[in-house]
Amino acid sequence: MSQILDRNMDIGPFVPQPDDDLIICRCEEITKGEIRQAIHDGMFTMNEIKRYLRAGMGLCQGKTCGRQVKGILARELGMSPAQIDDCTPRSPNRPAEMRVLGNEVDKV
Amino acid sequence: MSGVRETADIIIVGAGVMGCGAAYYLAQRGVKVLVLESEMIGHGASSRSGGGVRQSARDVRELPIAIYSVQHLWPTLSEELGVDVEYIQDGNLRLGKTEEHQKILQARTDSCVAAGLDVRMVDAYEIHQLCPCLAPDVVTASLCPTDGHANPLLTTLGYYKAARRLGAHFITGERAVRLERIKGRVRRVVTAAGNVYEADQIMVTAGYWTRQLLNTVGIDIPMFKRIDQSIVTEPMPHMFRQMLGTAEGHFHGRQSVHGSFTFGDHTGLEIQHKNKQDRPAATSLLAGVACRDVVEYIPVLANAKVIRVWAGWLDMTPDELPVLDVVDELPGLIVGCGFSGHGFGLAPGAAKILSQLALGEETCVDVSSLNYNRFDGRC
Amino acid sequence: MKMKRYELAVIGAGPAGLCAAIEAANAGMQVVVFDENAKPGGQLFKQIHKFFGSKEHGAKIRGFRIGQQLLAQAKEAGVEVMLDSVVMGIFDCNELTVMHNDATHHYKADNIVIATGAMENAIPFDGWTLPGVIGAGAAQTLMNLHGVQPGSRVLMLGSGNVGLVVSFQLLQAGVQVAAVVDAAPRVGGYGVHAAKLARTGVPFYLSHTVVKAEGEDHVTAAVIAQVNEKFEPIPGTEKRFEVDTICLAVGLSPMSQLAAMAGCEMAEKGGRAPVVDQYGQTSVPGIFAAGDVAGIEEASSAMITGRITGASAAHRSGYLDDEAFAARTQELRASLGQLHEGMFSPANKGRNDLTVTDEGIMLSQSLLHKGYMEDGEIERFPGAGAVHTVGIHPVIECSQNIPCNPCQDACRFGCIQVGDHITNLPSVNQAAKCVGCGVCVANCSGQAIFLVDESIGDGAASVTLPYEFWPLPAVGDQGTALNRAGKPVCKAEVVNVRQAAAMDGTALLTMKVPKEYAMTARFFKKEEA
Repeated sequence: MSQILDRNMDIGPFVPQPDDDLIICRCEEITKGEIRQAIHDGMFTMNEIKRYLRAGMGLCQGKTCGRQVKGILARELGMSPAQIDDCTPRSPNRPAEMRVLGNEVDKV
Repeated sequence: MSGVRETADIIIVGAGVMGCGAAYYLAQRGVKVLVLESEMIGHGASSRSGGGVRQSARDVRELPIAIYSVQHLWPTLSEELGVDVEYIQDGNLRLGKTEEHQKILQARTDSCVAAGLDVRMVDAYEIHQLCPCLAPDVVTASLCPTDGHANPLLTTLGYYKAARRLGAHFITGERAVRLERIKGRVRRVVTAAGNVYEADQIMVTAGYWTRQLLNTVGIDIPMFKRIDQSIVTEPMPHMFRQMLGTAEGHFHGRQSVHGSFTFGDHTGLEIQHKNKQDRPAATSLLAGVACRDVVEYIPVLANAKVIRVWAGWLDMTPDELPVLDVVDELPGLIVGCGFSGHGFGLAPGAAKILSQLALGEETCVDVSSLNYNRFDGRC
Repeated sequence: MKMKRYELAVIGAGPAGLCAAIEAANAGMQVVVFDENAKPGGQLFKQIHKFFGSKEHGAKIRGFRIGQQLLAQAKEAGVEVMLDSVVMGIFDCNELTVMHNDATHHYKADNIVIATGAMENAIPFDGWTLPGVIGAGAAQTLMNLHGVQPGSRVLMLGSGNVGLVVSFQLLQAGVQVAAVVDAAPRVGGYGVHAAKLARTGVPFYLSHTVVKAEGEDHVTAAVIAQVNEKFEPIPGTEKRFEVDTICLAVGLSPMSQLAAMAGCEMAEKGGRAPVVDQYGQTSVPGIFAAGDVAGIEEASSAMITGRITGASAAHRSGYLDDEAFAARTQELRASLGQLHEGMFSPANKGRNDLTVTDEGIMLSQSLLHKGYMEDGEIERFPGAGAVHTVGIHPVIECSQNIPCNPCQDACRFGCIQVGDHITNLPSVNQAAKCVGCGVCVANCSGQAIFLVDESIGDGAASVTLPYEFWPLPAVGDQGTALNRAGKPVCKAEVVNVRQAAAMDGTALLTMKVPKEYAMTARFFKKEEA
């Protein structure tokens, strides 16, 4: 079950940082500043940040940036990364062409 | 009041697109809104929807909500919420290959026209003018030019963001398990964590779980949950602006502004699904079925990479129509549920109607046929 | 759909997966292993260094040879290994979908062992998306699997064992290592791994991080800066290195997506990982997890946890009775326990406050902060027990409690003692007679043993050191002796170079230096022609 998160909790104002233009999600080219702004817009979970910005929604499905996004979210919310759930992993575990997924072979 | 954690004018249970939308329209009117969500924002059907914004092929009882939404709310929603919900109004195209398909599409078209909608049949030449990427054997289609699609994730989060900015208070991870009636009115929500919240009105927009929650005050809206499954691809060059469907309903889908294709499909085994999980996952058969179906109609996608397959629960009512109603036998209780897999396109209108029901105002369209107690064993 | 059913499907043919498969197949199970790579072995075939541990852990054997052994054992046990086979999902009723040869296959398994390993972490900094910023594991793949240098000059970020080992392998591959940089205040990996780098002249920058990768279309330089206690760069402390490659060795995360997909309960273990009991069983009956996916450790423990899950699956399917299972897992857990002792144990992970060894000897702060021990420091450790005695004797520069004891087994004359706990510091018994065979030098996976002889006359001493760079110097070569910090200290002449099959690629290089440098000269640098 998800932890209780009060979306009115005080996380302070959004203060620009010098490295806000750093790209965090390489697949979708989402910057640290965009992620921090999304958190201040109320996106308090990894899935919400993903759905709002596409960070972690690309080809690698957050395998590279997930840890970074979680770190940024944790810092903005004043929580430990350990308290924050990952985005939901889904099949296929690696990107696969439609012709391959559609080509199902009876192995017996 | 002792033991009550927080009070509000209205508590909305369920922060999907309906709950967030209703919270937005109510907060806009100065109502003090508290939204309780068991998981996270839009975690149910709202984040698993195909994104169609469709008037065509709707039952006449809900059609006015779709028309109202498309005419009055969708076109300006991005501007209003300050979030681009990626609404594209460039038609819904239902594709067919055979004479049988043509008959199905023609019958649908006729009934849409009878309902006053601009829907027409399209011949092979025009289909391939509209969509050069379709397989050559796609020879017939119906087109509703005023239909379209939008991004359900951004629409839900956009309503949430805007409602929050207007002062609506959202608490997530707070699973409502019981409603309580105090001196005649439904006033309290008790959560799994043991917290109690109180308000003058309670609105339940919790999808299938609405049924269980309403059971705690003796109301049963017949619904079952059915799995619905989708796939999404990597971004591809822009090919389609229309919402796509097929005559036999094999798949439906859209290309997003970003370029990815999202397709929903069925394996035929959905009814027999074991329904055991709270958090549904696609079955092992879905990806193969969907990819074969799609490539038959859009061969150029054979090499598009699928990056994700997912599933969600549909809240199916017996007549596959929603409930949008004030529960008159239990003052203070308002219900919006049972959208049966086609609620997203209705969402702005339905959310507005829910807000109007809470405010005691006349609703923008008549929803009297979507009453909660219409299921009399004959529908 | 008709599906082939296996008694055990293992996902991942790395050390954990192969060991699970071998263990289960030896118990009589019908086992398949799926691996997405073209070659089996996981990371093992990239590991050209000698492993730590004791004999039963495969100590002093190079990783790729362990990989060869495991493949042979798997074949013998009848394990079916399917390569280029990507497990795409785990579904209800232990069903797997597998992508192979441009097709999707469905399989069922009574038991599943998830042994998918880990993936490298990245950290963002200005320019981190430039070509030339790569994972240390990727650099290792290029060098050791494909024979390609990842660059010509590398800055390594991360001083854990991965960063240290890969830096050394970069040197071996003829790549320059400009520096090892770590934001932590102490070297994270084994001191012996740091020391073998430092003595070649690689500088260490602890409490530093990379702030910028310069370059237009590829990396041309790296800028580092010192960090404060909050790991924020301190302006004005920047240093610039002209490099074409920045290697990131900043940790690993369990590749646990399949476990999460299968509905296993997850917990935080440096990244989400499935919760497992002492038998490797996850919260989903019949699904097990072993190796890094269940929590980052290293290959030696992955092999044991793999064995444990293989035994668990065999027990669950009736191939091992309760008694046999209890005996086998007890044995395996004892072996795992040996690896879990000492200052680098999982329980001590991330600790920066250790100041003394288990024996109560003060740790070398220099080793922790600069990568090498200062002159005179080794003398307080038991490995220097024979220093300044007459004749040849080993000097074991092993100052931390790491799980390793091949040095003890190396000496037939009882010169070297580690004792019951393999994490004990080795001690040199002054009374025992060293014959200078050098087996201990070659056996030490940390390349931390030297033979010193201060009685060769002419005011000279001989220092014999482990040497793994090619081409090997030849007898008579003149050059410079470097100290532990990699600084030139004196002239040196190569007087002997020994190689033997049993030494498995570690040459013994003996150099002659002035006697006063016997305890400081630790590396030989040939004079440039």
